[in-house]
Amino acid sequence: MTKKTHRLSDELQKHGISRRSFLKFCTAMASAMALPPMAANVMAETLEKVQRQSVIWLSFQECTGCTESLTRSHKPSIESLIFDFISLDYHHTLQAASGDAAELAREQAMHAHKGKYILIVDGSIPTKDDGVYSTIAGMTNLDMLKEVAKDAAAIVSIGTCAAYGGLPKAAPNPTGAQSVSEIIKDKPIINIPGCPPIPVVMTGVLAHVLTLGIPELDSHGRPVAFYGDSIHDRCYRRPFYDQGLFAKSFDDDGARKGWCLYEVGCKGPVTHNACATLKWNNGTSFPIQSGHGCIGCSEPDFWDAGGFYKALSTSNAEPGHWAGVALGAGAVVGAAAALANRHSHKQAESDKTEITLDDMKESDA
Amino acid sequence: MTTSLEQGINTLKAAIDAPTASYFSSCVHCGICAYACIFYTETGEAKYTPMNRLEPMKRLWEQEYTVLGRLKKLIGLSKAITQADMEAAVELNFESCTTCGRCSMICPVGNDIVYMIKKMRGALTAAGLAPPELKGAAVRAIEKGSVMGFPMETLAAQVRAAEKETGIKINIDEPNVDYMLLLSSAEVVQFDEIIGSLAKIFKQAGVTWTFSSKAHEAANPGMHMGAKDIEAQQIEQMVAAAEELKVKNVISPECGHAYMAIRWDGPNVIGRPYPFKVFHIIEVLDQLREQGKLKTNACCTEEPITFHDPCQAARRGGVNQPQRNLLNMMSSNFVEMKQHSACNWCCGGGGGVGSLEKTEELRKRIFHRKKRQIDELGVNTVVTMCATCRNTLEEGLENNSMDVNVIGLTEAVANHLLKENES
Repeated sequence: MTKKTHRLSDELQKHGISRRSFLKFCTAMASAMALPPMAANVMAETLEKVQRQSVIWLSFQECTGCTESLTRSHKPSIESLIFDFISLDYHHTLQAASGDAAELAREQAMHAHKGKYILIVDGSIPTKDDGVYSTIAGMTNLDMLKEVAKDAAAIVSIGTCAAYGGLPKAAPNPTGAQSVSEIIKDKPIINIPGCPPIPVVMTGVLAHVLTLGIPELDSHGRPVAFYGDSIHDRCYRRPFYDQGLFAKSFDDDGARKGWCLYEVGCKGPVTHNACATLKWNNGTSFPIQSGHGCIGCSEPDFWDAGGFYKALSTSNAEPGHWAGVALGAGAVVGAAAALANRHSHKQAESDKTEITLDDMKESDA
Repeated sequence: MTTSLEQGINTLKAAIDAPTASYFSSCVHCGICAYACIFYTETGEAKYTPMNRLEPMKRLWEQEYTVLGRLKKLIGLSKAITQADMEAAVELNFESCTTCGRCSMICPVGNDIVYMIKKMRGALTAAGLAPPELKGAAVRAIEKGSVMGFPMETLAAQVRAAEKETGIKINIDEPNVDYMLLLSSAEVVQFDEIIGSLAKIFKQAGVTWTFSSKAHEAANPGMHMGAKDIEAQQIEQMVAAAEELKVKNVISPECGHAYMAIRWDGPNVIGRPYPFKVFHIIEVLDQLREQGKLKTNACCTEEPITFHDPCQAARRGGVNQPQRNLLNMMSSNFVEMKQHSACNWCCGGGGGVGSLEKTEELRKRIFHRKKRQIDELGVNTVVTMCATCRNTLEEGLENNSMDVNVIGLTEAVANHLLKENES
């Protein structure tokens, strides 16, 4: 892909997108992010005027699920078109070029848009043994990230792997996988976690970055507009939770009646994402609606947070061997202490003597 | 035995039992016991926090009965209990604690603090540090049968006087009667009108009763000193007297701690059950009232009266309702203090504190609580059912120049019945 400097509005017309549908897109984005109504207009005006933003997309230890989510939505939607408004200068899966030519495209983009391009990362970065566990064109992911991040304007970590380490980081983490934010400390980083993230969340955040800059982020670096509420708070099954009506298994009466899945392991109460409101496949459904509890995929270390089918209120700790040893040792120490105490108590009993009336007279004498 | 620091420590060590160990380990240091204690609330001095009074006992428990404490002792990190520690404990356990039990009742983890204070007192007694007033009282109680030293002859004289005044025969050593009556020292000489009063009430009710020449007083200084041996010796005297006369019931007088000793502590310290029942005199009067044996035909007085609950009989002993039944029978204007019954505030004289010369100034300070309670109600009469409370109240009211009468409940009931008969 070569560098283009066309304005977005030109591109839109070239693709046969009417201004009406473009405005609809902007309005949808603005409302999805709970921006004020005027923001849709601002967004549209800005998007029309901006030059195509150069974007470099790096894929590291990942499964391509995030790219799939973004590009293979139910039908070709306006979300996918956003990629026509940016200049995706480097992307493994999507680019036509290969080998040296592909790497050349990346270097060209980095050079031409130095300090201005946006870096999108999906996948975690292996750091153990100097990062040899994943290389592209002979370069480790670790080195490539550092190199590309150096001149980026901002970094967007797409998917839980890039944002928090994700599955590759799950115990015992054989490759020493880390998230982008664990490695890069001097750039603004937006996390869009999820396994994968919701397509409209990705396009919405990108639109926001292009027009209004970096959105408001929570303590985990996630845009508050999409990750501000917990699944639980916006879940349509919440009334059942409030009434104490729970499915006890996936095939009981409660499950058939659509009661709350808390007791079969739903992580909705501790998971922040927009699944319950935006839903998936063009707003068709989301996991809880199809009868399975939330697995908490947009939270850090969700893979190691206990079983997916264990209720949140149950303990994740497994006592294991040492607890048994400690218990045994404690019992022995306790029994020994009790014996010793009994002995000294008996000794004291025999040492003390009766108080007699003569003792009462002592002071008088 | 000769009392000594070593004996005190041995006694304390032997006194630390399973409940004590669990109390010390479950104390969460919340300090609520301080706010339950009249000595803390009226002085604001932190040393009066009930759990703090037990510091030597707690240290000994740690050193002798906990793994960490033993280690600390081994490497010299904890100090042994000294004579000075024990002497300091005398002030906190004998002179500024009436064993009223409010702390035990209020403790959120259920620690019976008074249970431990009594053990602490026992250890101090074994160390020879018990206050001389209590020691003297114990000697008099066992040798003469009276804490103030009034022998049976004194009571016999009072009985004759009461017989003369009322014209009713009063038994001494009469076997097989319903009740054997025990008195407190104060009732033998100071509040002696009670003898005639009871003669009238019992005659009217048709019950039989007697005094015993072998045991005529129920006060028990041994209990105050935590000296179980002495306490038991005195209880044995009373039990022997009651057994000899084959009475069905023994009446504990208008005295808080006597009731505690003979009704609740007694069988435990002597190690066997009684062949008779024990009642507080007010329980007996209320039973007679219930059976319709307290005959009265005039209406009750309208003068406002209030009641001061003796800690040992009410909170600790469980006698809370009978006195209220009797007061409501006599007065249409019986008003309660804000905190009463099980929650009452101590008068400041119980647990032997009232008999200690040293405590006079402190007693004056802590009486302010009772003063405020009485002032709030604006009554002119306070009724109580304990001779020690009565003395303490009279002393406190006098010190504060308050024009309030204090009377014993038995006397009040007798006056009430008498009034009816005259009218």
